[in-house]
Amino acid sequence: MSQTQPGLLATINGKAYSFQPGETILQFVRRIEGETLIPTLCDAPNLEPFGSCRVCSVEVGLSADGPRKTMASCHTPVTAGYHIHTSTAAIQKLRKNIIELVLTDHPLECLTCEVNGNCELQNVAAKVGIREVRYPAGEDHLNRKKDLSHPYMRSDFSKCINCFRCVRACDEVQGQFVLSMAGRGFDSHIVKGQNVSFNDSDCVSCGACAQACPTAAISDVFQSKSIQGETRTRTICNYCGVGCNLEIATSNGEILSIQAPFDAEVNQGHTCLKGRYAFQFYKHPDRLTDPLIKRNGVFEKASWAEAYDYIATRFQGYIRDFGPDSVAGISSARCTNEENYLMQKFFRAVVGTNNIDGCARVCHSPTALGMQRTFGTGAATNSIEDLKHTNCILVIGANPTSGHPVTGAKLKQFAMKSGNVSIVIDPRKTELARYATYHLPVRPGTNVAVLNMMMYYIITEGLVDQQFVEDRTNGYEELKRQIEEVDITEMEAVCGVDRGLVREAAMAYAKAPNAMSFHGLGVTEHSQGTFTVVQIADLAMLTGNIGRKGVGVNPLRGQNNVQGLADMGVQPHQGAGYMDVTNEDVNRKYSQFYGVEVPKHIGYKIPEMFDAALDGKLKAMWIMGEDVVQTDPNTNKVKKALNNLDLFVVQELFMTETARLADVILPGASFLEKSGTFTNGERRIQRVNKVVEPIANSKPDGQIVIDMMNRMGYAQPDYTPEGMLTEIAQIVPFFAGVTWENLGINGKQWPVKADGSDTKILHDRSFTYGKGNFLFHSFKESNELV
Amino acid sequence: MSKNLSELSFRKGIEENLFESMGIAARKEGSPGKDDLNHLAQEFLIGKSSVYGAASFYDFLKEGNKGKEVYVCNGTACVCAGKQNQVQNALQHHFQAEQIGHMTCLGRCHENAAFHYQGKNYSGSAFERLDTIIDQNDPGHDTYNVGQLGPALLTAPFSGLENIYTVLKSALQNGREWALGEIKTSQIRGRGGAGFPMGFKLESCQQAKSEVKFIVCNADEGDPGAYSDRYLLEQQAHLVLSGMLVAGFITGAEWGILYIRAEYPEAVIQVQKAINEVREAGYLGRQILGSNFSFDLKVIQAQGAYICGEETALINSIEGQRPEVRTRPPFPTQAGLFNKPTVVNNVETLAAIPAILRLGGAYYASLGTEKSKGTKLVSLDSFFRKPGIYEVEMGTPLTRVFEELGGGFRQAIKAIQIGGPLGGVVPVSKIKDLTLDYESFSQQGFLLGHASAVCIPQEFPMIDFLEHLMDFAQYESCGKCFPCRLGTKRGHEMLKAAKEGQATIARELFDDLLNTLQQGSLCAHGGGIPLPVRNALQYFQEELKPYFHS
Repeated sequence: MSQTQPGLLATINGKAYSFQPGETILQFVRRIEGETLIPTLCDAPNLEPFGSCRVCSVEVGLSADGPRKTMASCHTPVTAGYHIHTSTAAIQKLRKNIIELVLTDHPLECLTCEVNGNCELQNVAAKVGIREVRYPAGEDHLNRKKDLSHPYMRSDFSKCINCFRCVRACDEVQGQFVLSMAGRGFDSHIVKGQNVSFNDSDCVSCGACAQACPTAAISDVFQSKSIQGETRTRTICNYCGVGCNLEIATSNGEILSIQAPFDAEVNQGHTCLKGRYAFQFYKHPDRLTDPLIKRNGVFEKASWAEAYDYIATRFQGYIRDFGPDSVAGISSARCTNEENYLMQKFFRAVVGTNNIDGCARVCHSPTALGMQRTFGTGAATNSIEDLKHTNCILVIGANPTSGHPVTGAKLKQFAMKSGNVSIVIDPRKTELARYATYHLPVRPGTNVAVLNMMMYYIITEGLVDQQFVEDRTNGYEELKRQIEEVDITEMEAVCGVDRGLVREAAMAYAKAPNAMSFHGLGVTEHSQGTFTVVQIADLAMLTGNIGRKGVGVNPLRGQNNVQGLADMGVQPHQGAGYMDVTNEDVNRKYSQFYGVEVPKHIGYKIPEMFDAALDGKLKAMWIMGEDVVQTDPNTNKVKKALNNLDLFVVQELFMTETARLADVILPGASFLEKSGTFTNGERRIQRVNKVVEPIANSKPDGQIVIDMMNRMGYAQPDYTPEGMLTEIAQIVPFFAGVTWENLGINGKQWPVKADGSDTKILHDRSFTYGKGNFLFHSFKESNELV
Repeated sequence: MSKNLSELSFRKGIEENLFESMGIAARKEGSPGKDDLNHLAQEFLIGKSSVYGAASFYDFLKEGNKGKEVYVCNGTACVCAGKQNQVQNALQHHFQAEQIGHMTCLGRCHENAAFHYQGKNYSGSAFERLDTIIDQNDPGHDTYNVGQLGPALLTAPFSGLENIYTVLKSALQNGREWALGEIKTSQIRGRGGAGFPMGFKLESCQQAKSEVKFIVCNADEGDPGAYSDRYLLEQQAHLVLSGMLVAGFITGAEWGILYIRAEYPEAVIQVQKAINEVREAGYLGRQILGSNFSFDLKVIQAQGAYICGEETALINSIEGQRPEVRTRPPFPTQAGLFNKPTVVNNVETLAAIPAILRLGGAYYASLGTEKSKGTKLVSLDSFFRKPGIYEVEMGTPLTRVFEELGGGFRQAIKAIQIGGPLGGVVPVSKIKDLTLDYESFSQQGFLLGHASAVCIPQEFPMIDFLEHLMDFAQYESCGKCFPCRLGTKRGHEMLKAAKEGQATIARELFDDLLNTLQQGSLCAHGGGIPLPVRNALQYFQEELKPYFHS
């Protein structure tokens, strides 16, 4: 994107070009002449300019023929009238001389080095034309010991060139400060902690240093910088709702290693230890390889046809004998949008029941409901990149440095800067709380109390954005009346946070030009969860923090595709695109679209499924990619319920605690073995690309569902992400313009209009249904045991 | 540098300072313990590596400093004077070899044979009475000549607190613009070596928008041979402090920090004493003299790293970061200490402010030459008959300085290194061509720098001098930029091998190395060291010939 201004001209090797304000010489030359004209070693795409290697030096004159000065291009801003010479004889000689010096203290064993062929030092040495090292042998650091202590990280500092990229990555990207330079001058060297091993350090294994290192001084056990993997596939991580883009190297159908692409809008070359290193599960010997049918208490291998027939016959029997509501399904936040869409379609259109649910409705349903009640749409209003445009963050009930490491690292970076305000409401002193301007350590379960206190101070101290409230909201006067009646003394006692601190935090949030909130399950997983979300939305509306960059309400979604699971209609009351299944028009629309009559009454939620199974009303369940025995509350009850079913089908990668109870197990495929889309916590639909073939006799989950649909007499074409997205775009309104092709490498944020344009910020001019609604809720003690 | 570390260090304010805490933690054993460092890391929310990495940089914090009891000066003047072996031998009668460390320049260049014991510096014949020193806590005071050629703006005898702080009163009365105007009119250039106009710095910081700003006095006079700042700190502290107050008033800074090198313990004591006096007199604190100007002063003692004299390294040091040189922009006046607008000025520059305000910028500008105004302090070493600190009007012929003030040379010398280790090596034959100002030195291919003069005696081999110089350069390199980290090391190795007769140096390679250092280095440390080396190669070509091959 060019933002050049007329008059800002500088020459590169004699030709004049316009430059952008604030651009460095290096950025300017790269934009005009490409990446390779000026070699660099200490520069990295995600790090601040540092100026240590000096290889990027250029000559700069103030007139075409006047005297020139040598300057490092990476940290020198372009100035109008600069005459930049990138490659004079003197500059080429300087670069060569610097690299020659580097090679006096670097092993020359390139042929056996991990990064052979992908070493930045090697490339620059080749480019500047090093043929010999003329210096007499002197002191060197070639005998430094390798550090093999860590399960993932590796270092071999004999190969270190002291570019500080690892130190800067650990600081500027992850914010962990595990690495530093120590000593000085020629003896300066990288240390971990107080000169301990990787394993004994506070390293969080994010791998940012390994990716940043231009040589093999820091790498990982997977040798992620080697060029052995001839194929590189870009896909989306399936661990959390951040949605990191990954670049996966494969060779011969095997995954070798993972790196994070720098051009990823979501993660800009960063990811966490899970995204980067936790991939080997896909070929673990414990993977389920074939369909299994339990006979006399023992699982026996079966063919797909056998398994499908076994299930289909029985499902059809229950539907015939007990009605479609005797069958229920649970879909998976780990699976793609397409697979979730298919799963709910199977239950609604093939079985004929709304008994379909998923974990998203459990963990973040208060978010969806609370935001629907106030804003009209239950999804994050903004994007994580808006952290660049905000002045204040309010983080409630979330520990993002653990739960959402890449977003957590960005929040931590934000919180470390003294000009920024960060408010953390959490009973725990989380890592973020340590850095926060205000930490409000509430007693567990009292979010409503503390947020009402905040609103009290904002309203009574006259910090309400009256214009916003007047133009864009309903219900303010009623809220005001109720808030003014809040008994601060009582609420202070309830939440256990000093009112002065709450007041200061409220003032800071209200006074910030832009304030953004983030919340997690510490908000939603309480009996007053929905109310708390409503309050968070109230706070944003009271202070006018909606509808532009750097503001809004931003739930931190848990798993990689919880957002998508809900979007696709995996819930008993709303179909694909959140449309109310009980509504006549909606019912007609779905029935027409699916070509069969779909039910109009709300189906079972997950806990109700278990109750119905115990009652004997529910005969069969099909769970795809969810280990309810491990994750749902009251394990004994869940087990009892599942054991009470006549038929229990589990589609899984591994023999989970839930799978053990199944009658039929269908071996699904991991995210590495299939294509589709995931939608991250900022509504970004991103392409998941198959990296390797499904192992053994396993199948992509979407294909399994389609096979079952066909087996039960519903004609559904074979699974392709293109085909599925075409279908979904026709029924989910906010997917209207989504095609596999136009998602590109960085995806699109819904709603995506028919013309393909997407939406970074929700509610920019009006709310989903016109105005936003203020709602008041008073504090009640939580039902949950704390 | 790390923006994050700057921000996190800032959280504790200037009163509770990370770097200072490391120094305190090192007092017991000579290096902070692991637990102390972990504790600091936790307290400041930074990494264990951050504190370890910073501490390991400094001579008096690093692990190798543990157990050191006494330090021998190995500054250039002491080396050229040739007495340090005697000092070392004398000390070995009282200390184990591993208890004896080095300090580079204790500022006793006027009598040499310098060493540091238990927070005090000794020189001259002190090493001959070690028994008394160890037993009786000898004060270790020194004396040297002080004189002038021209007006005594910096060297006049102390005339009382009131007299000096009238400049603050007139500034408060006439306003910041007046004070800044006088300084701009004076055209005074920074005395630390770079010669940057002080008025620009103050103005740029004044215009920077920030509620927090700092005035930093660079009292890390690390140039071997220079002790003029030590003189000012020990004998004229109120000139410096009042200059800082005025600079604070002009820019809107409320804190002044004096970063004083550890090798000058007496300076720390005298400045602290002076600060107490100023505070008692009511010139420090909130709303000084009923104005809306608030200012306070703090001394931070350095821990042994020459590079901290470079202003951005100094800023990193105060923050408790590794004192590596920062890239510019941003300049410190925009984002300096803790990323806040900061004026860093040398002791002598700040000390000139009272005279400028008292006598007027125009008067100051009437002294000196076109581009070098006012007076300059010169440090003369023990090879002069009258070694000492002399205040000289800019533009004075060097011969007059050396003859009339210095009294000529005690013995035959062949060259003088003027302006510190990065200053030129001036052969005696060139003395007559030089006047004491920036222009003259630069036209003749030298550098005025901080105007210290270290004599190289006739019999002192030039190869030894170069080896010493490059050893200093490599030892004190911060290690951030490739050319300096590697180049000074390789340069030293080659010079050492040549000096010891093990090898000769390939001239083309050596020239390439000097070019690489000069063009490629991030700061003046690596960029400046080629100058004296080239001077020596030019003026002592014959003497050095046997050590090189083509």
